Amino acid sequence: MMLAQRAIPRDTTLGEWFTDPQSWTGSAGILASLGDTVVLCLAVILTSSLLAVPTAAYLAHHRLAQVTSAWLVNIGRALPTFAVAALLVPVSLRGGYGFEPWPIFIALVLLTVPPMFLSTYVAVREVDPAAVDAARAMGFTERAVLRSVELPLASTVIFTGLRVAGVQVVATEPIRAFLGGDGLGRYIRDGIGQNNATLTIGGTILIAALAGITGLVFSATERLIKPYGVRRLRAHRKPRSGDADEEPDLGDTDEFASHHGAAVGRMR
Amino acid sequence: MDADLKGPAIRFRGVTKRFPGTRTQAVDNLDLDIERGSIVALIGPSGCGKTTSLRMINRLIEPTSGLIEVEGTDVSSQPPVELRRGIGYVIQQVGLFPHRTIAANIATVPRSVGWDKARIDQRVAELAEVVGIEPSMLSRYPDELSGGQQQRVGVARALAADPPVLLMDEPFGAVDPIVRSRLQDELLELQDRLHKTIVLVTHDLDEAIKVGDRIALLNVGGVLEQYATPDELLRAPANDFVERFVGEGRSMRRLGLATVADLPYEAGPVVEASADVAAGLAVIDELRTDWLGLVDDDTFLGWIPREELVPGADLASLERFLPAAQVEPTSTLRSALEIIMTSRTSVAVISDNGRFRGTVTLERIRAGLAGDFDAPTEHAA
Repeated sequence: MMLAQRAIPRDTTLGEWFTDPQSWTGSAGILASLGDTVVLCLAVILTSSLLAVPTAAYLAHHRLAQVTSAWLVNIGRALPTFAVAALLVPVSLRGGYGFEPWPIFIALVLLTVPPMFLSTYVAVREVDPAAVDAARAMGFTERAVLRSVELPLASTVIFTGLRVAGVQVVATEPIRAFLGGDGLGRYIRDGIGQNNATLTIGGTILIAALAGITGLVFSATERLIKPYGVRRLRAHRKPRSGDADEEPDLGDTDEFASHHGAAVGRMR
Repeated sequence: MDADLKGPAIRFRGVTKRFPGTRTQAVDNLDLDIERGSIVALIGPSGCGKTTSLRMINRLIEPTSGLIEVEGTDVSSQPPVELRRGIGYVIQQVGLFPHRTIAANIATVPRSVGWDKARIDQRVAELAEVVGIEPSMLSRYPDELSGGQQQRVGVARALAADPPVLLMDEPFGAVDPIVRSRLQDELLELQDRLHKTIVLVTHDLDEAIKVGDRIALLNVGGVLEQYATPDELLRAPANDFVERFVGEGRSMRRLGLATVADLPYEAGPVVEASADVAAGLAVIDELRTDWLGLVDDDTFLGWIPREELVPGADLASLERFLPAAQVEPTSTLRSALEIIMTSRTSVAVISDNGRFRGTVTLERIRAGLAGDFDAPTEHAA
């Protein structure tokens, strides 16, 4: 599959490549490659969020594994994705699962779980302790405290973490093309292989565009699923103190004065 | 409500709390009875276990040993979730849910216990009125309200399911003094209507004196040093610690606690307008004042200076000085003192809606402080 491709002449311009219908169609076309990439990225993002978010939320709610979490997350972040995937290829081959897509899938999950975990953990832990205390004191079960107070209040930060990790997945997924797979990374690989800058730059543009769109899709999803009460919080993040705002209420200073002295009249 | 229940609303028996990894107790063998329908203020220096004691009542903290009963039932025998839904809770930081409207915040417990929507809506509207929240604010969010308003919502939320017991942890600590004073007054008005059993943690002695029916003063290590009415605490500190804690302003603080009506009646240098000059002179000589007051039945007519009292003059026709310094029976001794200090006669007339009810002087206030204000009348809130 790495071979058997229509060779692109080196003097093809980017404009010509993008406007040629043949670039888009076929098994090696942009649309098919885009499909491969999108499917893998979606699978990775879904798997990672299902692994990271509930675990982190649960641990943070119970203030568990604070040190261990930080430690694991740091190790996770230090893992070179390309190396992990490459090391997994022989394992996958020996297990009979082929070159693709398991090694890259696992490597990308390992790449995205740490930031998702960390942002969720921190977001839940940083929720206003007074709101959590009040909820518990009003007879919320622990599960209800997490579901009705901590998660909604943490959701903005959690979503940011998911978005950043999602964009990172899309931007990293092209290494798959160097590990026996396809997807949008194929144009970069082929461009390098054929010493064809048009292909390399074209592929890069496509990947960057997809990453940008991914960010937008995350933001739109966030807007759609967050209730208004949670959504408006970010815009009105200014906590108010009672002092200045009480002013309009002070119209009834007479009432206040009467608490201090019931002087009805004084002799002159 | 609960009139059939005998005994205190909340009872601590030998309650000790030691947090893991600490050498000293947070609360040490605490015995405390909190009478139904009263406000008890827990006060003491930091580390005295006042908040810990409060949070053990609704099992946010579990005691190491000892027994706590609420309305006659051992709290450790009740599931925390059920127990807490029946106990109101107000904290300094308010802890409103910022992502929910004011109405939804107030409706928290009713919703948890499954009231229907109509009943919840009605209750929310009712509570908004009780605590003084405009109906238009109910659809707003907590960050759109001032600190004082937020705390009112916090109180409404705690009262939503009509719990007999209310726990308040420094409820007015985060608002400025003027708002705090108003919220304290509102709490007392509320209590006059609702008769809840309220346990209030504070570090502010003036607040404890103002709102507490009784004050439990705790020392570092969770030792209860004195449990008494505010006046008793100020008048008769149980030991050196209490005396030092209540400080040098004890007498001044008691002035704010007692009202003019707490003093025994005394007419003062006053005669009926129909009396003659000789009788008037006799009165002011006996009381050694320079002013003679004239009354007509129970109306105070005014003051006449001593030099006008020449033999043969007609008292009723002499020039009288008005208005006189006046106080009401409900005025505190502190405000009476203030008025006396600025009056020319050194005497304040007690006027109950215009009716003469005797006089107050510095000497009488001083004598009053030597006595026991709790004895004749209940401490007026």
